[in-house]
Parts: sequence; C-alpha cells; structure tokens
Amino acid sequence: MPNPLQLLLPALIPSWNFFDVIAPSPRVEFAVTSSAEAAPEAWREFRPRPHRLTPGTMAARMLWNPRWNESLFLVSCAERLIDNPTAHSEDEIFKRIAADLARGAETAEGWLSFRLVFVAREDQAILREVLFEASPRALAEIDVR
Amino acid sequence: MTLPDAMRLTQMLLALALLQQSLEHLRGFRDERALFLARAVLCVLVLVGVASPWPLTAMAALSLLILHRFQGPYNGGSDRMGLLSLWCLTLASLAPSTPLKELFFGYLGAQLVLSYFISGWVKVVNPEWRSGRALRDVFQFSAYPVAESLRALAEQPRLLTVMSWAVMGFELAFPLAMLTKPTLIAALVVAGTFHLANACLFGLNRFFWTWLSVYPAILWLQSRLIP
Repeated sequence: MPNPLQLLLPALIPSWNFFDVIAPSPRVEFAVTSSAEAAPEAWREFRPRPHRLTPGTMAARMLWNPRWNESLFLVSCAERLIDNPTAHSEDEIFKRIAADLARGAETAEGWLSFRLVFVAREDQAILREVLFEASPRALAEIDVR
Repeated sequence: MTLPDAMRLTQMLLALALLQQSLEHLRGFRDERALFLARAVLCVLVLVGVASPWPLTAMAALSLLILHRFQGPYNGGSDRMGLLSLWCLTLASLAPSTPLKELFFGYLGAQLVLSYFISGWVKVVNPEWRSGRALRDVFQFSAYPVAESLRALAEQPRLLTVMSWAVMGFELAFPLAMLTKPTLIAALVVAGTFHLANACLFGLNRFFWTWLSVYPAILWLQSRLIP
C-alpha cells in the first residue's frame, strides 16, 4: 500500500494528460443470491444513469453532486482493480453497493457479488467484456456505517 | 493584484471549493464524515482568516490522511488540482521571504497554464482526437455522460470534430493569452465556460470550482511576468 507522500507526489508534479486516450470504460454490476455457493444470475447495473436530466437538475448538481462523484470514485476503484488490484478497491465497491441496498426499499439479505464489465469500441462495434468478478460476501457482514 | 491579495483571494476561493466537496462527504461513511467535518471546519477558519496560516497548514496535513483513506485522489484531476493549490498556498504562506512566496505561488499559476496546454498537446498528437473519434467515444460508451440522452451526441460526428478542434485549439493557444491582461481574462472566461459545460454534461462540478479557485494565481503571475 503506497504511503500518503507517494500518493501526493502526482498532485505536486502533475501530468495533466486528461482524456489522452479513451480507455475501455467500467460498469459495476451486482447480484444478490441466497447463498455463497449459488451462481449469480440476475446481474443489475449499479446506479444506471437516468435517461434525461433537466437543466435545473444540472444546475443544482453544480453545488450538490455527492452521488455522482461517488460513482466516479467507483469508476476509479474499478480501474484500479484491473490495473493494480488491492483489497481496498474491492472493499470500497462492496461497501457502497451494500449501503445503497440498505437504504433501498428491498430487504437487503443474502450474499452480494459484483462484477466489472468493461465497455470498449473495436472498429465500429461496441464490445462488453467481464474482466473481474468478486467472490460473494454476506450482506450482513459488510459494514455500511 | 498584489501578491498578498492574490494569495488571500486564492485561499478563500479554494476554501469555498473544498467546503463544497467536504459537505458532500458528510453523507458518507463514519470515517469519511470525521475527516471531512474536520476539513469543513478548517475551510471556515481559512475563509474567516483566523490564526493564519495554521488552518491552511492543518488542511495540508489532513489532505495526507484523506489520500490514505481513499488510497489516492477521490475524484482524479479535480482533487489533484485542489491538492496542488492547497500545498502551494501552504508553502507560500509559511515561506520566510517574498521571493520564496513568489516561487511557490508562481508554480501554482504556471501549473494552471500547463494544465491547459498539456491537455491540448496529448490530444492533438492522437489521430483519434484529430478525427473527432475520441470525443464520439466519450459520448458513446464512456462512464461520463450524466444522462443516456446525451449519448445521442455520438451520432453527430461533424459537430464533435468541430468541438474536438475547438477544445484542442483553445488549450494549445492558452499560453499565448498570458501576453496581456485582457487576453488572459478573455481566455479565463472561455475556460470557465468550458469547465461549466463539462460540469453539466459529465457531472464534473468539482473541476469547475477547483479550477476557478486558482484563477487569481494566474492573474497575479501574468502581471508579475509582464508588468
């Protein structure tokens, strides 16, 4: 695990290479099963984006946008899991999915799994490829406080 | 703008930007709430100007704990610019002499120029950006568009090619805007509009506030280099 000074250095000597290449883009999908052994089947995209946003909502998000910024953090975690896997990235994704489930109307019980689907263009075709699938964890054991 | 005025204005704008981010984190997990509540309090102290430069110094120290918590920046480039600004302002505030203060604060202004120029350079050397294909990819399949309806823009290749060249041209030409104060102000208005568009289309609200907060540093640097 890098120390904080190592993490600070790229900020003090930045590269500024924003969007130099458009890399394959991760989507987090999750499934809840009744047991650790059950194969997940009903994968759902985590926080699918809305079809449309009103100008008013866009304006409000200039000042209050925690959910979207958290989703962007999960994109970073997903990319880190592929480039440089750590338990931290996996834990963060599990915690944030479990927290959403705990806040939702559905009963959050059972075993949670997630997978990372990377979307990319090859010539003119858009391809989706699963590059990571986490081992299931009991929802009751994920700390969401 | 004098050096103390420019530094103070940058500190206040950065404190507002980091306060906005900190408030967003107060809906997060318990350990996040503790870190960002502390940062929010420090932001208010910086805004008010109490016990300067210690609240700023404490924020710089706290930034290391936050980096450790997320094992890197929470939101990529915007957090990196926030960290750069915070550490440059802290070092400039603690520096014992005016030349050193100018060096640290000038470095921040210079990095802002580079942030535009290098972003333009890495795009223009990529044939996919020159053809407009890269920007189509951003709209077609990247994680950034805030609504599915925006993906339809990928079906406007001519518009996206023009937009690609407008962005690359502006970013590459940005250093020339440093030649006079009016051109720099005009360039910063265009740049601010660009960040606003990115915030609306891609949800990058943190970029908007963080980049704007550094503008006094570049205005001071321009007047220091070309009086």
